[in-house]
Formats: sequence, C-alpha cells, structure tokens
Amino acid sequence: MAEAVRSRALRTVAGRAVYFDDEGFFWDPDDWTEAAAEELARESGMTRLDDLRWRVIRFLRSYYLYHGRAPLNRELKAGTELSLLELERLFPDGIKLGARRLAGLPNPRTCLD
Amino acid sequence: MNNVGLTINARPVHVVADDDRMVLLDVIREDLGLTGTKQSCDRKGQCGTCMVLVDGKAVLSCITRVSSLEGAEVTTIEGLGTPDRPNLVQQAFVLAGAVQCGFCIPGMIVTAEELLAANPDPTRAEVKRALRRNLCRCTGYVKIIDAVQLAGRFIRGETSPAELMPDPDAPKIGTSFVRPSAMAKATGTALFGADIRLPGALEIAVVRSTHAHARIMGIDTAAAAAMPGVAGVMTAKDIRGTNRLKYQASDRPILCDTKVHTLGDAVAIVAATTKDQALAAAEAVVVGYELLPVLTSPDAALADGAPRVHEDTPNLCYSQPIIKGDAAGAFASAAAMVEGRFRTQIVHQAPLEPEVSLAWMEGEGEDAELVVVGRSINIHLHMQTLQEALGWEAIRYEEPFSGGQFGIKVEVITEGIAGAAALHFNRAVRYVPSLAESMLATSKRHPMEIGTRLAADADGRLTAMAMDITVDNGAYMSLGRVILNRALHMLTSSYLVPNLAVTSRLVYTNNPWGSAARGAGPPQTHYALECAVDMLAEKMGIDPLEFRRRNSLRPGEAKATGHVVTEWPFPALCDAIQPRYEAARRDAAAAGSEGPVRRGIGLGAAAFGIAMPGDKSIGFVELDPDDGVTVYMAAGDPGEGNDSMISQLVASVLDLRLDKVRLRTRSTADTAASGPVSGSRATYMLGGAAVDAAQHLREAMDEVGARTYAAFAAAGKPVRYSGKRTTLEKAPLDPETGLGPSFEVQVFSVQMAEVEVNVETGEVQVLRMTSAADPGRVIHPVNVEGQLHGGMDMGVGFALREEFVAGRTKDWVTFKFPNIRHAMDMETILVETPRELGTLGSVGIGEMAMVSTAPAIVNAIRDACGAMVFELPATPERVKAALAVAAAAPVREPAAAAT
Repeated sequence: MAEAVRSRALRTVAGRAVYFDDEGFFWDPDDWTEAAAEELARESGMTRLDDLRWRVIRFLRSYYLYHGRAPLNRELKAGTELSLLELERLFPDGIKLGARRLAGLPNPRTCLD
Repeated sequence: MNNVGLTINARPVHVVADDDRMVLLDVIREDLGLTGTKQSCDRKGQCGTCMVLVDGKAVLSCITRVSSLEGAEVTTIEGLGTPDRPNLVQQAFVLAGAVQCGFCIPGMIVTAEELLAANPDPTRAEVKRALRRNLCRCTGYVKIIDAVQLAGRFIRGETSPAELMPDPDAPKIGTSFVRPSAMAKATGTALFGADIRLPGALEIAVVRSTHAHARIMGIDTAAAAAMPGVAGVMTAKDIRGTNRLKYQASDRPILCDTKVHTLGDAVAIVAATTKDQALAAAEAVVVGYELLPVLTSPDAALADGAPRVHEDTPNLCYSQPIIKGDAAGAFASAAAMVEGRFRTQIVHQAPLEPEVSLAWMEGEGEDAELVVVGRSINIHLHMQTLQEALGWEAIRYEEPFSGGQFGIKVEVITEGIAGAAALHFNRAVRYVPSLAESMLATSKRHPMEIGTRLAADADGRLTAMAMDITVDNGAYMSLGRVILNRALHMLTSSYLVPNLAVTSRLVYTNNPWGSAARGAGPPQTHYALECAVDMLAEKMGIDPLEFRRRNSLRPGEAKATGHVVTEWPFPALCDAIQPRYEAARRDAAAAGSEGPVRRGIGLGAAAFGIAMPGDKSIGFVELDPDDGVTVYMAAGDPGEGNDSMISQLVASVLDLRLDKVRLRTRSTADTAASGPVSGSRATYMLGGAAVDAAQHLREAMDEVGARTYAAFAAAGKPVRYSGKRTTLEKAPLDPETGLGPSFEVQVFSVQMAEVEVNVETGEVQVLRMTSAADPGRVIHPVNVEGQLHGGMDMGVGFALREEFVAGRTKDWVTFKFPNIRHAMDMETILVETPRELGTLGSVGIGEMAMVSTAPAIVNAIRDACGAMVFELPATPERVKAALAVAAAAPVREPAAAAT
C-alpha cells in the first residue's frame, strides 16, 4: 500500500530537464546537481548559496547517501556545528522544506499522496 | 487469599493467590517474565495463544485460576526448549514452515506437545481436534497440521531435523531455508510489543467516544485526575503538534478536539501506575457531547442536507472514472450480457496481536529523543507522521516482532497515543489496549457497492464492461484514494476488455474508517468481476476456465487503465490448473445431486499489480570484518517472510551462506527509508533495492579481485554500498479518462473452490481450495505456499463469515474468526515464469493469495445450487434467500441491475 499517486512535472533547471514533485522536491535524488541547487536557491529568494549554506547542503546529501534517510535535527546540528535557530534562518523555507529540498533529498511525504 | 505452591518449568513458585482474579497467565507473564505465552482474546479463552501444560495437559492459562494449581507442574513454551536446544516439536514447526508471524505458535506447540505425548502418530483429523482451541490468522492451518505430523515422525524416529535441514550450500533461490526469525518465535524468545519490559512505565488507558458523530462540548477530567495512582489526564490541547495523523488528508486526530467522527474515537488519555487504575480513571472522565446525525451509509452521506463528516470537505471526497472506447455501442451490439449489483462488508484485518505501543524519552532538553515502539510496516513514514502530529522532531521509531497485520499497520494507531503521553508526562508509558479496543480503534477493509454489467460477442470474447463503484470511506481518508485507484488499475484483472464505462465514488460516512487490508481494493472489485465472468460464461454455454483463457490479455494489449503490458503468462496458468479442474468436475459429478447437500465447483482469477507509478526503494549492504554482510533497510516482517526473502536474495548475489547475511530492518536509527512493506511490493521494491546494493558490492569486490573484507579494505575500497529500485518513469491516471501508466509487474492466480451447499439450511462447506499461482521465480517455495494457504483461508472468511459491526464485534467469536475446524484441504500449483523486470525474476505474492477466493466460492455456490449471492458474507441466510430468488426466476437474469 501507500503507493504514490503524486503528480510530477518536468522542469528545466540549470540547463537540464528534471522531474520535480508538486512540492518542488526532486523526484529522483540522483538528478540533483550543484547548479540546480543554486538555481532553486535563487527562486527561493537567496541571491547565492554561500559557504555556510553549502556546508549544510553537502552534509545533508552525504548523510542521505550514506544512511538512506534524512538526518534528525540533532544529527544535522552535530554535522554542521550550527544551532537549530541558525539553520532555520539560513533557508527561507526552513530545514525540512528548504534545506532538504535544495539538497535534493526526497520529499518527507514521499510515497503517499 | 491463599498460598499456592507449584512448579513452573521445574522451578518452585509460591504464589499468594487472590481467588477471584489471579489467573496463571499473570503469574507466568507478569511475575516470572515468561513472555513466550501470549494473550490476544481479552482473557476469554478464545485464541489459545496462552496455552501452557499443567500436569501434561494443555490449558488456557488466561482462564486458569492459580488457586486451583496447588502442587501442579506447569510447563510453558520456554520450558520445552530454547533456541540453542529446541525440542522436536519446535523444530518441526520451524522446518515445516508453520511459523509466520509467530504470535500463535507457542500456544500451538504447547497444544501439540500434549497431543503427541499421548498419540505420536495423529491423523490430520486428530490434529485438528487437538488444536480446536488455537487460532492462527497467517497459515490457514495447513502447515500447522503438517508440522504436528512432522513432529510425530521425529518422535517416532522415522526422520530427524538434521535430515530435513536444507544444505547450507544449496542454491539460495528456490530453496526453503529456515526463516531467520522462526526459531526465536517457536521457542518464545521473540519479543512482541507487550513482552518488552519497561520498569516504572506508566500504564495508559484511553477515553473513547461512545457516539459515532457528535460535537465535543467539554471534557471534565478533575475526578479522574484525583483517583489513586493517576499521574495525569491529557486531552487534545496538551498535544503540541498538529494532532493530525495526516496521510492523504489532515482529518484524523490523535485525540479529537472539536468533534468525534466515528465510534471509538480517542478523546482523552489517562496515565496511571497500574493499568487497572488507568482504566478506572478513564471511566471517570466526563465528556459532554452534542449529538449529530449519524451517517451510516454513502447514500445517507450523499443525501440532500446531510451534514458533512468533516466541515472543510464534501462527503463525496473523491471520484475517478475510466472511459475507454465505446462501451455503449459495444453493449448495444453484444451477443450476451449479464449484470448485477454486488456488495461487500466491513472486515477487520484481524491480526492476533492487540495494538500495543510503548514510548519513552531518552536524553534531555531540545535534543531529547522520543522513542516509540509500535507495530508498523513503514517505520520511517510513521516517524515522520508522528513528528508533525506530536510537534517533536527527534523521534526514533522501533518495531518489535509483530503478530500479524494484513494491511492494518500501514496506519499509525496507538503509537500517537503512546508518543503524546510520553511527551506530555515526560515518563515512559505502555499502552496495551484490549482486543475489543484494538478492534474499535483500527482501520478496516472498505465496504463497496459495485454495479456491474459485462458483455461479450458471439465468439465469447469480452467486449465491454460498465461499473459504478461506491466506496464507504468511513470517517477518515487515510489512503482511500490510493485504495480506490488500486481497484481501478486492476479492474479488468486478467482480461482484455476493450470498452469501459466506469464511475467510482469515495464517500465519507461515520462508519469505521477504511484503509489497507490484504489486497486493498481489488478483492472487492474482483468479487464483482469474477462472478460476472462466470455468469456470462454460463449464459453463453462456455466452460468458465476456457472462457477465462480465451479472454486473457496478451502482451502488447492494454489493461483497464490503458497501460500496455509486455508479459502476461495468465493462459499458461489456466493450463496448469486444468487437470485439477477436470478432476474436481468428475468428483462433483460422481457426488450426484440427491438429498439436500449439493456439490459445486467455482473459479476465480486475478492479475494483481505490483509497484505503482512513482514508487521507490533504497537499501544498503555493508561488508563486515567476518566476510559476511549486513543489510540496512526498513523492512518489517509481520509474518510474510521478508527476512527470508532479503537474506536469500543478498546471499545469492554475493555467494554467501545465509548465516553470513545479517539484517538491520526495525529501527529508523539505522535503516534506509525503504518504503512500506505492503502492496505486495516487498520482493519487487525492497528486494530489488537489496539486490542492487549487493550487486554494487559484488562489482566493487570483483574489480579489485577481493574475496574477503581484509583484502577489500586493503584495496582502499568503501565497504558500504547503496541500492535502489524505482518506477520513476510512470505518471498518475488522467482524472477525466482514468487512463495512464500502471503497475510495473503482475502476479497471477487462478483459484478453484470445491464446496458443498446444504440447500435446506443454506450452510456452505468448503471442501477444498486450489490455487495456481505464477509469482515469477520462486525464492522460498514453502513461504510462497504459506502465503497462498493463509490468503485462501482469509478469502474464505471474507466470503462466508467475517464481518465487523462497530459496537457489536468485540472479540474473535463475534468476528467469526476462522478456526481450525473451518480449515479445508488446500492445494497449490506453482508456475514460475521469470519476469524480465522481476527481482532475480521474482515479483511477490502476499495479497494476490486472497483476491480471487471469494468469487471462486460464490461461483461454486451458484454451480452447486443455482443461488447467486450478491452480498458478502455469503451467510446461510443469504444463500437461502438467493435460493428463493433462483427458484422464482433464472439466476442468469438477476433482478438488481447495474445502472
């Protein structure tokens, strides 16, 4: 059960046609590129991804690629040496729907609607 | 009070017994911590999971008073053997494949022990009589009986466990190795939720609604909070998150805040030192209700002026048509047509284990972790759902052994209560609800009403089908849309039907809420389709098996939803069952039709889809220093054999013995989010990801010529590899036409029922069920047979007996749980057509096993006596009513017609 019936849409991001779900998450984490993250960040109102933000994104991706799941907040704090408040402020849509999305992690609601 | 001396597993025990209340089960489980003895039926002596030996006699410890046991010698499952030194009966159960979820197994083994001590060579009838008090939901009892007889052979010295143990070097695909978890379950050491010790934990009781639809006007907890032992009472306002367990809609609260939407909705939580104290205090919570009209059916919910179940959503909450070709034209020119209106009932999935959850906090401050232990087949999704609902991000979800689930544990049920209480009271909590409460609080199989019209041309080829499907969604959405869509994807099942006119509606009511239940949608629609197929075949004078074969879809043709298939081995399956079908026909003819008992044969077929559009799974395989591997992926195994499946697939890819493959599958802390173990997707999706990961490891080892961990590590290679399986290239159904890509693969079956119908009483006895199935390459033949047996048993219950009526169905007797006296002969025929996309050629089988059982039985009833039963369950009363209709008018022209 719980198979996906979500819609998806093909978008061209950073010169590549890539599927996104209806909440703007990459359909396939393997489609993620650094250039795509930069473009998605600009769409979210960030002029650029600075080193601090890249530290967060790279940690999220490496954690996901090793564990197959997103880190809990305390794991994210330990991995980035940032507080939750700092992390939330870095991304306009917060950690779950902002940082994770830019890092190409699956939608937390995947496999449902 | 009196002091009772007895021995338990040869250990002297002195008990100060309260004559009125203390039963042996409490001493065994609570005082001695011997948790191999289980409890399912609210201490009514209905299930047999608590069976122990008292002076060599198997007794139900839940109703055995301690005061009667002075001097008794009690033996529990732990006293019979241990995982290192199991006795012969325990080994027989493991080797016969009788252990699935394992919750019933200790009781079964204890009972078998008594039988075999007196009679080491029992007949199947004698085994059935001995086990008459023991229930099992997984096996259909076939392999249980096999196991007892095998134990007899061991005891008689005719063979030995060592002789039957598979060669560890045998091929890993196609060999029935012992399940990794089987011996722990057979010796009572496998811990289920209620078996986990949590010293100092508060016990939970829940105040549940006594009304199906009402506004909450106030909750007075003062009296309850002041009662002895009570740590506190909490209501919705004490939950810091959304308080909504959101899947497809944000409509289901952990604790109701403004309204209750169905009988048994949770309203308040009481935490106390003991369970009795918590239950007493829950009785003292006063909830003020303003009663609202109760919508007991989709018709009532869709009537003008009906109140909404949820204010922000119409009661008609989803609809999806399928429009293909020119159905009206095809009906107008058809050579033959049949029609009928079919109805199915609400059914409880009926896992034996109650819905137990535990929760506690680890650590301090904002990093404190909430640990939730619950029954789940999707631990990562359940964790995420709880994070939002409880407003707490740091959650670890862990799954103990689980006593069956059959779809029910796709849902968060009691875990939300336990988690909320642990957070609010900042204490460890245990929530062990009764069976009655578990039945009331859980999701159910959706009831459906299905108007059906089916037509064929003069050559006996299907030309058109019309269906109008109304699904009673109950009070909450859960996965209602998914389940309805699954039914639509599989609507024409095995057949080519070129013209379709289908409407479907999903409707909120105040009935129990529907969700996943083995098959999840298709069992209901297959009942309508497969009965109509039989009716049409008979009307056209064509043998029903030949009619099915003739109308099979072929590679290159399209399913109901327009998806063109590349593999469709269904006709070969019809060929495979043909000899048994002809033999059954001969047997029925020989039985004659004199007297009130009539013999009938019925068929049902199914093409069951696996791996929906957009599905994905991920897993990891890591090489360990002992040259074995550990697999990391969330993969609950509530009985199907996923532990066998994953282990054997990985062992096959890496050329390892099974004892070199370890599984980490039960905690969100160390597993990949691999998706649910449901929808029959485990072998295809999870197995596929595990194989992919193992292949990556294998390729990396081959690349540097390493065969050991030491050599591999010395070559500087990483030892952990990921794997995935995706169906990413797919897309959803078109909302206007219902057309679009569908499941990636199919598993096929043809089932045959042989029944006797007493035309005077309406009683139906199933003599034998035969299932021919093609799941692709078979990984573990005994597990596949076990799934087929259990599925058919469940299908027979769905067809003939089972029904859940909220407020009235409270235990296994009122649910009409199939017991061993109902067990029929079963035969399985396995056809292995390796699938191109399958996981090493395999696709899975769990749900398909019951999809076509009910129509096979109903068709057999009609074959026996002409009575066409249009509503399940086919009770004696309904069979007699159908006989009366058949006597008044030909059954081929049913009065109730589809529109």
